[in-house]
Amino acid sequence: MRVLVIAATCVLVACGGSQSSQANNADSNAAAANATAAAVAAPVSGAKAAAIMRERHEGMEAIGKATKQLRRELGGGSPDIAAVRGSAAKIAGLSKKASGWFPAGTGPDVGKTGAKPEIWQDPKDFAAKLASFQRAAAAFNGAASGGDESTIQARYSDLGGTCKACHDKYRAETNR
Amino acid sequence: MPRQVSRGDEPLRIDQQPVWDLPVRLVHWLLAALIGFSWWSIENHHTDWHIWSGIAILTLLFFRLLWGLFGSSTARFSSFVRGPAAVRQYLGGQWSGIGHTPLGALSVLALFGAVAIQVGLGLFNEDEDGLYAGPLASMVDIDTGDKIRELHEAWFNVVLGLIILHVAAIVFYRLFRGKKLTTPMITGKAALDPAAQPMRPGKWWVALLCLAAAFAFSRWVVAGAPPL
Repeated sequence: MRVLVIAATCVLVACGGSQSSQANNADSNAAAANATAAAVAAPVSGAKAAAIMRERHEGMEAIGKATKQLRRELGGGSPDIAAVRGSAAKIAGLSKKASGWFPAGTGPDVGKTGAKPEIWQDPKDFAAKLASFQRAAAAFNGAASGGDESTIQARYSDLGGTCKACHDKYRAETNR
Repeated sequence: MPRQVSRGDEPLRIDQQPVWDLPVRLVHWLLAALIGFSWWSIENHHTDWHIWSGIAILTLLFFRLLWGLFGSSTARFSSFVRGPAAVRQYLGGQWSGIGHTPLGALSVLALFGAVAIQVGLGLFNEDEDGLYAGPLASMVDIDTGDKIRELHEAWFNVVLGLIILHVAAIVFYRLFRGKKLTTPMITGKAALDPAAQPMRPGKWWVALLCLAAAFAFSRWVVAGAPPL
């Protein structure tokens, strides 16, 4: 029973997370989405496409690794604030670069990638989700600099919500 | 596996006698359903559901472990865990009793063991993107977590192989030995040798205590297994 209660709470928390990320989407659509939509639109090919795909893969992997480190800090009792700041800055920095990671011509038809073709079928929605991730990454980085633990936890949870919102729709599994 | 009365001998009372109590049957079918659900949910990217399904399996396994110590006679490990000599006797046709046969007991232990290993790996597991993690994932470093994820994926094939063997054995007994093994696992009763020692039922309040202990254990694991 207890487990069910915890499960239900988690579902509620997950819903709350996606609602707030939708709110983020709404007010960030105009600004950041335009730049990203441009990046999605301009097609690349050949060596340039391969280079971008490699950079994207390594960047996403680094974001993933920083996320895993963050859970080790923030999941337990006493987070090492320096480590949290380091990971937060890393994710915020890489999130900005992500605007250039998804030009047309870097999909699964070109090479091995976890990026789904849907990215280029619905570039506006993708750009909005990427923008909300960038905003959440910046907000989390700000919270980490501030040092208030409950704010850090809240922004960390928002950030995870934006990762999931995008990956659920646009990320394929590549290791199978 | 219940031993059935062979037909055609003297006219016997073929009474339906209890062989599997309710906790044993519930654990069996819930486990089957949850293993199926765990597979389906992760294949369809419902990672949260997958994790909770694993926690539910952990709870069931821990309950079954306790029920194997304090439950009904056919549920107890002491009644069915036997050595290779008993397996040889069974294969030679020299075994009588109710509950798991010596050979069936090996299958039971292998299945529970494999599922326990799978759940154990899952607790320390973490997805590639770092977005989902088992409750104990933060106890291991990132590289170890990556290896555990690969093992968790690979070990499912072991679990699947044992399930296929389990189902194949049931079909074999049905077709070539005339024994229905599925019905007793649903109704709890089978036609047994009247001379065999009847099942000694467990006590309902012991079952409740085992269940409470299993939930407490799961809750502690979900909390990240903090020092007590």
